[in-house]
Formats: sequence, structure tokens, C-alpha cells
Amino acid sequence: MRTRTLVVAGYGMAGHRLVEEMRTGNRGDADGTWRIVVLAEEPRPAYDRVALSSLLSGASARDLTLAGPDVLGDPRVEVHLHSPVTGIDRTAGTVTCAKGRVFGYDALVLATGSRPFVPPVPGRELPGCFVYRTVEDIDAIRAAAQPGRDAVVVGGGLLGLEAAGGLRQLGMRPHVVEMAPWLMAQQIDAGGGRVLAEAIARLGVRVHCSTVLRGIEPGANGRAARVTLDDGTVVDAPLVVFSAGVRPRDELADPAALARAERGGFLVDQWCRTADERVWAIGECAAVEGRCHGLAAPGYRMAETVARQLLGREGDAFAGADASARLKLLGVDVAGFGDAHARTGGSIEYVREDRRAGTYAKVVLDRDGRTLLGGVLAGDTRAYPVLRALTGRELTASPDTLLTGA
Amino acid sequence: MKTDVVVVGGGPAAHRLAARLVQYGHRGTVTVIGAEDNAPYNRALLGSVLDGTLSPGQLTLPALPSTVRLLTGTRVRTIDRARHTVRLDDGRELTYDVLVLATGARPRLPWVPGLVTARGQLADGVRTVRTATDCHPLPAGPVTVLGGGILGVESALRLRRAGHEVTLVHREHALMERYFDAGACAVLDDLLAERGVAVQLGRRATEFMPGKLVLDDGQVVAAGTLLLCTGVEPETAPARACELAVRDGVVVDDRLRTSDPHIHAIGDCAEHAGAVGATVTGAWEQADALARILTGTNRPFSPSPQVLRPRIADFDAVALTPASAKGIEEAEETISLMDRAGGRYAWLALRGGRIQRGVVIGPAVAAVGFLHERAAVLPEDRLALLTGSDGTYAEDGVLPDDAVVCHCNNVTHAALRQAWTGGAHDPAALARATRATTGCGSCTGVVRELCATLGSPPQAQGGAS
Repeated sequence: MRTRTLVVAGYGMAGHRLVEEMRTGNRGDADGTWRIVVLAEEPRPAYDRVALSSLLSGASARDLTLAGPDVLGDPRVEVHLHSPVTGIDRTAGTVTCAKGRVFGYDALVLATGSRPFVPPVPGRELPGCFVYRTVEDIDAIRAAAQPGRDAVVVGGGLLGLEAAGGLRQLGMRPHVVEMAPWLMAQQIDAGGGRVLAEAIARLGVRVHCSTVLRGIEPGANGRAARVTLDDGTVVDAPLVVFSAGVRPRDELADPAALARAERGGFLVDQWCRTADERVWAIGECAAVEGRCHGLAAPGYRMAETVARQLLGREGDAFAGADASARLKLLGVDVAGFGDAHARTGGSIEYVREDRRAGTYAKVVLDRDGRTLLGGVLAGDTRAYPVLRALTGRELTASPDTLLTGA
Repeated sequence: MKTDVVVVGGGPAAHRLAARLVQYGHRGTVTVIGAEDNAPYNRALLGSVLDGTLSPGQLTLPALPSTVRLLTGTRVRTIDRARHTVRLDDGRELTYDVLVLATGARPRLPWVPGLVTARGQLADGVRTVRTATDCHPLPAGPVTVLGGGILGVESALRLRRAGHEVTLVHREHALMERYFDAGACAVLDDLLAERGVAVQLGRRATEFMPGKLVLDDGQVVAAGTLLLCTGVEPETAPARACELAVRDGVVVDDRLRTSDPHIHAIGDCAEHAGAVGATVTGAWEQADALARILTGTNRPFSPSPQVLRPRIADFDAVALTPASAKGIEEAEETISLMDRAGGRYAWLALRGGRIQRGVVIGPAVAAVGFLHERAAVLPEDRLALLTGSDGTYAEDGVLPDDAVVCHCNNVTHAALRQAWTGGAHDPAALARATRATTGCGSCTGVVRELCATLGSPPQAQGGAS
């Protein structure tokens, strides 16, 4: 019976889920108990990053907290804030954090998350340009907002639309610039994108698709003042938010001689394990069999997979995750699930669109027309939970019935 | 009142009009003047003569009643509106009370060097599909079909089936683009590829030489025969000559009258409500309407919804359009099915649950056509309508046990049921026991419904969906 140490590098949503899983599972651990050391970069414990935008509509950072007193008060858990891991010595089995402290580990789980990707456009460093990732970013945006003025959001994905909604809450007039031909191109198809764009245009959000930023010019005060798009559009905007995707935080890989995936991320197998049997990676920094996942739910599955291994339990490997999502963006319900883009060979697409109601629904079926593979919903997502639950299975009723909730 | 009717033209529209006039008890004479030597025949089936499926004689329409006077191989030279007479090219003069123009249309010839000889004839090897005279079986060898409208596509597939090497050249970027949308075009492209017809889209012909056609990108395609399917133009010369109002076709009103109240026009030469007819069924409908008008019914002509069905073996397709411009109201709803691998496609615009217009390819053609014709409300299971399935589904509406209900926390239907059995009888208790609903919250409705189902008496269970 010996106490072992688990070091978790990073305290975001995936890291937090790992801590939770370890705490609930620890009691029955035959080999003894785990002491958990969490090394966080941010100045606050784990919070619900998915709900970040609620800070712009009245919520406080406290409302987003995931790590309650039960975790922080657990004697087996040590949380160190402002303490990002700066180096790993795999031979010695130690990590060093920014404050210079060294922690020994029996198991190390990298949960360093990701950083916003800022496209290399001239002017991106100007004051008035922001990213959208942390509580501090949101605070800064709120402080810089100028009601009545235009603002530009770079990226028409999930986060970009949330940012646009937030800026609208702050009284600004958001423009969304998206490189793809339609919004949320990862989750939904062209038809859903059209319905979404029409609905948010009615709310005063201007959508510019199939174009990119050419540059940001400063005004007399040296702050961002004018944004030019590649299609020639010019927007006088004192505020620019970059939400054009993320890149995994994998800078610890090279010094520690850990492998990186081709497109970044700590390369791990389907058990989320690196080539070092004592080192795992989970969440957005992990490239599971080469592929990174940028949503919360896959990160949770990875955390659960690793917790089971550490606790010596049977369980499945990480089986991958789709980009399924159901959101309310600027009051518009949107969802994409499973094979939303009908990429499965021989698949069938069935679409219902109600122009009066502003709703769009597509279901993707396999070639026999009976098994649900995925779909897209816009304007009305009430059918999402049932359709998502049926994804990969035979339909239990007509899609018309399931979609209309009859 | 006894009226003598003279019909100029001897095609399917003239034939139908004459037959119906007799059937509806017309009093007075009926004379039909056909320019072709043959008795009236069904022009729409000429494609079957091209590939040798039918002989020209098999296209002949039923003989007209003996009271109808049929002149063939005769043309009208002049129409004298003041004297109500027509003069024929053999010098005869006929008097009419009512004159009907059913002069049809002639093939539109594209301007391509080498197509027409110095004497104004089509060059050797160049053919059209309009009259029985130009429609005899093609010689063996490669055929190029110019024009990718319905006739061009039908002809290309027929000739390919008959063993010819076929190239289809179309100047637009999609085949049958006047009737098909992008999805239907994609399925049609697949069909042509599968059946081995080479298709050249977005290409014009720049020169015809014996045995080959040169395209505007410099390609040369084999054309032992060049079949022109480049559309038709209404035959309006007789109408122009006697100064009737003519736009694209001879302009007619809701009583199928031209600008001269004693002269009517029907079929491919007539322009009603801004549209020139294009189908034999449309021509027949006008013939029938005019026969009723001339025999005393006062009902104005109102075209039925247009239904266009290409004649392609083992390929059911239909384009449904509203009868007139007035029918093209903004659709409220659209439904569509794309099954490219299975060769099925549908796009329907609906209003009040009824079909306004659309395109269907595949086994659903018959059922959809039936609903369109009757302006009936679509059934609730529209997917089954479009796929032609029997509409039965697995599990009879119940969520399978291993279906994941809460994806954030990976909670299955079975796990929720087990928690219920363990005493968690409301959503909050189920959330505590399984974590379901505590992630993004989107499964809350399903969990609530599950509580309602499990909490209701046993006989009420099982049917919920």
C-alpha cells in the first residue's frame, strides 16, 4: 500500500473531469490511493469555458466555476494556480512549474488545452484586438466595448458566433467574417448555414462569408480602427475578436522528447497514452491517433479513459467523437450531429425546410434508408436529443414524425 | 348554328381537335389541311423510330371520323381574313367560319458552319427529329447529339442503347436545366455516365465536317450522324402573313382566339399567357378545350399543371410545374431527397402541404405525380413517399436500450431505466444518480419524457415516440 502521485498539467475542463473521476473512483483502488497535484496556468480553478459568453450577459466568473469546495478542500488534491508546467524530466519522473517548484510523478497527464489561432494579418497585435478563450479575455473585451460602433469577429464557427452575440449584448454592431462559404461549416451544411445566416442577419449581425481579413489599420490613437476584408469591404471597427479556431498547447513535447502529431498535439494512442507509459494527454492538447478534438465532450471521454487506467479498472479505449453540437446562437437554435455532411459512401440525404417558420432539417441515412447517420437542424432543434440518441441505429419512427415532434 | 371549321396543320393537335369536334356534336364541316404526306401521327414517339424500336407506320393516330375532310401533302398559301377564305398551294380555295392554326413548330437550327449546304439543305449526316420524313433509323456508327434538353437526352440514351457510340454536346452547364435543378442534374449525369454516353457540357459546336463535329474548345468528336436537338421555333409564318398578333408564338386569349376573333391557334404554334407549348399533352389539352369552346361551352381555357416526363428506359423522372405564372406563388416549404448512389432524387416545393412544383427521379414518380395531379395534401411520412419505402420502422417508436441519451456523460437509456428502478423517479434524482442532463443540458427533454413514460401505467407504455 503506497501513495502514488498523479500530476495533472493544466486545469481546464478535461483536467477537471480527470480529477473528478479520480476522486469518485479512488476509494476502491486496490493498489493504494492517488495523491493528485494539479498545476494550473490560469489564476482560477477550472471553469465552464463553454459558457464563457454568459459573462457578457450578466453571469459572473463564480457562476462558471466547476471546481467547488469539495474538490479544493479534498486533502488528496493539491491545486497550484499560476503554475504552468515549464519542463518535464521523464527520466527522473518530475515536472517543473513556472514558480520553479519541482513535483515528482508516478503518472503525468497533460491537459494543457489549446490556444486561439490568430491568422497572420497585419495589425493583429494592435490594441483593440482580442482573442476569446479565458475569463480575462472576456473582461478585456467588455472593458474595450464601444456601444453603437461596429466590431469585427474573425471566424464564423461556434465560438465566433457566441462572440458576436456577446458583442451585441454590449451594444456593438458585430460583423462576422468567415472563410468558408457558410457559418459553422464544421457542424452544419450549406442549407443550415443559410437559415442561420438569415436569422442572425435579422438581428443586425452582418455576415461576410467566403472571405478573410486583409488587414487592420490603426487610428490616430494607435488602436485598431479600420478593418479591410479580402473582398474589399471596409469596416470602421475599434474592436476585433479573433475566434478562428485553436491550436493545441503542445510546446512541452519537444524538450521532453515526446512525439507530436503532424498537425500538432501530443501524439497518443487510443488509450490517450504517449510512448512513455507514465505519460498521458487528454483534451484539446491530445492528438488521439493523430487527431485533435476541439469540444468538451471528447475531452471528458479521454479523461474517463485515463482515470480508469490509473485506477486499474476495465474499460473501453477512447472511441473517437463526432463534432455533434446543439447550440443557441443569438437566439437561433442550431445543431449538427453524426455524419452531418453525408460523407458516408452511398448515404441518403433527406431535407425539410419551412421558409415561413425559418426552420431547416436534414437527416442523413445509410443506403438502405433505415439507419440514421447524422443530420443538421436549424431554427428548431427540439428533435436533437432523440435524433442524436438514434444516430448509428435504425430509425424508430419516420424522420417526419421525429422532426415535427408529432 | 352551323359553322365550317378549317384547321391548318395536320399534327397531333389538329387530329385531336377534329376528333373532339365530331365527338362533341359539332354541326358543320371540319377540314384538316396537313402539309406532310402522312396521315396524322404521334410526333412525340419519333425517337422510337430513330433507334428502330417502332416503324413510322406504328405512330399513325387513329383514323378520323369519316365526316372529317383530311387533305394531306397540301400547304396553305394565303389566308384572306376579309373574305374568310384560305387558298391552298394546289390552287383550291376553302371558305371558313372558324379557322384554326395548328401549324406546330420546326427545328431550330444553330448557326454552325458546315451544317447546311449551299442549297439550303441539311448536310449529309445531319438529322433532326421532327417529322416522319426525317426520322428513319440512323446508320451504324458514332452519333453526336447536339442539345441537352429533354429530346437530346432521350435521344442520346436511346441511341446508346441501340448500340451507337454517342456524344451529347450541350451549351449550358447542366442537362435539361430548364426543368431539372442541380440535384436532379447530378443524378442524370450519373445515369449518362453509367450508360456510357459521353457528355460535353458548356460547349458549343463551331464546325461540322463529314463524320465529325468541332467544339469551341478545339475538341473534335466523332459524328457519323449529327442529330440536332437544339429546340424548336413555333411555325408562325401563315399568321404573320395575314398580320395576326405574333410574339414568340401566335398570341391567343383564354378562348384560344388570335387577334382575329374568327381565327384560333392551338398547340406548339400558339402562345397562351406568355408561354409557348412544348409538349404533346399540352397541345392535346388545348385541342380538347377549343373543341368544347367551338361546340358551345363557355368555359375559358385554363392549362393544367405541367407535367414533364422524359421517356428514358429504366429511368423514371418527372418535372412538375405550375400551370401558369400565377401558380408560382412563393412556396412555404420544401422537401428534398438526395440518394445519388441509388439514383433517386426529389425536390418538392409545397404550399399548404400540397405540391407547387418539383422534380422527382426514381420510383416515387408515380405516387408524387398522383398527389400533384389531385392537388392532394402529402402524407405525414414524406420520406416514405419520396423513397417509396413501406413506412415501417424499428422498435415501434421506443428508444433502444443501448442508445446514449446524455452524450456529455455517456449515459444510456438502459442506465437511466436502471436508475429509475433504483428509486430515482424525477429528472433531478436521475441527474444525481447518472449525471445525465448535467452537461450541456440538451437531453433534459428526453429525460423528462422518460420519467413520464416510466411513471405512467404499463398499458400506456410502448407507444410513445
